[in-house]
Amino acid sequence: MKAKKSSAHYNRQDAIFKSILISASLLVVGLFVALFLMLISGSMPSILGNGFGFLTGTTWDPGKGIYGALPAILTTIATSLLAVALAIPIALGIAIFFTEYAPEKAKFSLTLFIDLLAAIPSVIFGIWGLWVIAPLIKTYVQQPIVASIGFIPIFGGPAYGISLSLASLILAMMVVPIIASLTIEIISRTPVSLKEGMISLGATKWETVKHVSLPFARLGILAAVMLGLGRALGETMAITMIIGNSYMWPFANPSIFAPATSITSKIASEFYEATSAIYVGSLIELSLILLVITLVTNALFRYVIKKTNRGARRQ
Amino acid sequence: MTNDSVKLDILKLDAWFGDKQALKGISLRIKPKTVTAVIGPSGCGKSTFIRCINRMHELTPGNKVAGTILLDGADIYNDMDSMDVRRKVGMVFQKPNPFPNMSIADNVVAGLKLIDAADKKELEEMAKENLKAVGLWKEVENDLKKSGASLSGGQQQRLCIARALAMRPEIILMDEPTSALDPASTAKIEELVKALKTETTVIIITHNVQQAARISDMTAFFYLGELIEYDETRSIFESPKSPLTERYITGRFG
Amino acid sequence: MRMISRKNTDRLIAWLSLAITIIAIIPLLWIIGCVFANGASAINLEFLTDTPAPYGESGGGVANAILGTLVINTMASLFGIPIGVLTGMYLSEYASSGKFSSVIRASVESFSGVPSIIFGIFAFTLIVTTVQHYTALAASFALGLMMVPIVAKATEESMRVVSDDMREAAIALGIPKWARTVKIVLGVARGGVITGSLLAFARISGETAPLLFTSLFSFYWPTGIDQPMATLQVLIYNFALSGYPDRVLQAWGASLLLVILVVAINVVVKFATRPKYKEGV
Repeated sequence: MKAKKSSAHYNRQDAIFKSILISASLLVVGLFVALFLMLISGSMPSILGNGFGFLTGTTWDPGKGIYGALPAILTTIATSLLAVALAIPIALGIAIFFTEYAPEKAKFSLTLFIDLLAAIPSVIFGIWGLWVIAPLIKTYVQQPIVASIGFIPIFGGPAYGISLSLASLILAMMVVPIIASLTIEIISRTPVSLKEGMISLGATKWETVKHVSLPFARLGILAAVMLGLGRALGETMAITMIIGNSYMWPFANPSIFAPATSITSKIASEFYEATSAIYVGSLIELSLILLVITLVTNALFRYVIKKTNRGARRQ
Repeated sequence: MTNDSVKLDILKLDAWFGDKQALKGISLRIKPKTVTAVIGPSGCGKSTFIRCINRMHELTPGNKVAGTILLDGADIYNDMDSMDVRRKVGMVFQKPNPFPNMSIADNVVAGLKLIDAADKKELEEMAKENLKAVGLWKEVENDLKKSGASLSGGQQQRLCIARALAMRPEIILMDEPTSALDPASTAKIEELVKALKTETTVIIITHNVQQAARISDMTAFFYLGELIEYDETRSIFESPKSPLTERYITGRFG
Repeated sequence: MRMISRKNTDRLIAWLSLAITIIAIIPLLWIIGCVFANGASAINLEFLTDTPAPYGESGGGVANAILGTLVINTMASLFGIPIGVLTGMYLSEYASSGKFSSVIRASVESFSGVPSIIFGIFAFTLIVTTVQHYTALAASFALGLMMVPIVAKATEESMRVVSDDMREAAIALGIPKWARTVKIVLGVARGGVITGSLLAFARISGETAPLLFTSLFSFYWPTGIDQPMATLQVLIYNFALSGYPDRVLQAWGASLLLVILVVAINVVVKFATRPKYKEGV
């Protein structure tokens, strides 16, 4: 048996280990601060050169040195809100089916499908949307609508396939699993005692869901929606491949079938070719705007989910 | 004041959970190579008492300890590092808690391996020796590589005793080690406790007064954080001095 | 009468929610079907072993992109997993409820909400503009950062559910806190840490945006980790948009490889963490 080492030796080891853990954690904090500062300093040429007009301008013409970000900002917000609006009823439907009606045996495969849908890379949604869905949507959805009610500006033609509305549709598919899985988790937390009260009164499953589970889960569902919105706002590849990358929407052509450009698609398709300092700066300022929007959305998500958890604990 | 016939000298020990006092002025002396049973109704402070002896009570923020505990004359709160105290004072818990991520053999030498990097062969020897000491060797000799969690409850508890013994502790604390076990496993552990005192000093909490009578040399009866009576087990059971003790050991409360 | 209509409403909702669930799953099956149908015909020996043909020529493969994705992911894991595990260990075993740990927790959580393209911009401004050329290292840095919050959260959560009995057993043996944290608590929680790391790996395997202006793309075998490097993700993006039928077909082929990788990891993790199967405590 070797001589036992002194306890001071272990206390020193403990101190070293703790400082390693703290350093790693501080590195994460530091990198986050650095990310923010880098984006701000990278945006400076644009902030100084474009001024406030960057946020309100509707023209983007690097040749002439004009950088207006408003269409990209509006597109990002519009596609994301539209996507979430499409996704909410679907996600709720899945959650209600899963928690109330699905047979126990089917639940495992169902969560597997939901997880897989969330795991499909965005670039794959992009290639599929571009080569499979866009032509179908163009022929079977956009053209008939344009032909019938195209006189209404937001349904106006021509039909390109790739468009704001296609981007929203694909985005909706991408955020459905995110909203659905969190909603399932939240609805499953409904206290059994509350549900039993309703059931003992002779309520059907749907009545129990409507009067107990959904009201109980409403804050949590709001949190799930915020999480999905955050994801939709930052989504890049699928959008870039199917949105058309044109600054038409909403000012030149307000139709939901018009090609558009989101913040992310603008950055993805132009950053590489940007040469002048102000051009690069403008794109970085776009990403700074996106970062602020998504951080606010995520902060709201965390705030709401914290409230939900506290509420659940009180039950 | 110390002498050779005192292993553990406890003087005016107080302990608190936050503002709530759990132990009030406990003083007692424990002789080496004896088994001391600690009995009393739940909430009487017996767990707190033994957790003061290996300095685990102080781990929860807000908990406090006052008074003196001398182990072979050394003040465990002032003269010793808490880690050294715990290496000299082993502990066996109510619920068997082998490490599920380690094999049976590794469980036995977990403390040695993670503290003093002994060589592999030495560790194997230590594992074998201590598994033999708790009578588990024959049962697991071919399964040494299996997870510690694969054993039955009684075997797991003996494994935990072997793990504590491997540290060659001066004292072993046991916190109701058989309360989660079936009668056959309990009998084996009781035999083991009696055998242990040839090498070490045992302090065992039990809620079963018969068990205390069967296995201990000395018995301490706690009630509401106070030490009501401490004497040779035989005197406690044959002629208790306090009416409280008498009522407790005859099963009239608790 | 009333009772019957209430029951019918319930039945209607049941069927409606089933229909919605099926509608939501259709895209998944459709995508996987398309990727297999289109991608399978692209895959042959040349596809798996050769570099892309120059523009205007047919044939060639995506072998350099396969290698690139694996190299960049591996480097990202070497950076992201340790930082994530260390941060998770800190949050689970050392963090108190004080300000300091809430700053760390907020940073980790905020990182998980940052859009992936912003990690690309960050890596570009931090590394590419400093070394003055595109480099795979910058891509690994960006992807590694994306792994940190996933791994940290998985580590923290799986260590937190380890029973305090284990910690007490270790303390009672006089095991120092670092060894207790690493050998006992992390040891018991290792299943959760491994699955979290695998999911993080799957996640970054599909990420494309952070690579666009860091590792860029290349038609050739990698010459070094500080050089531009082809990846399956960027290849899919470039080739799908190229308009050449040959290239688009190869993009489908590359998509098939990527989908197989991502789906395989997710399925393995899903089966390994089935509720029935429980490891340790």
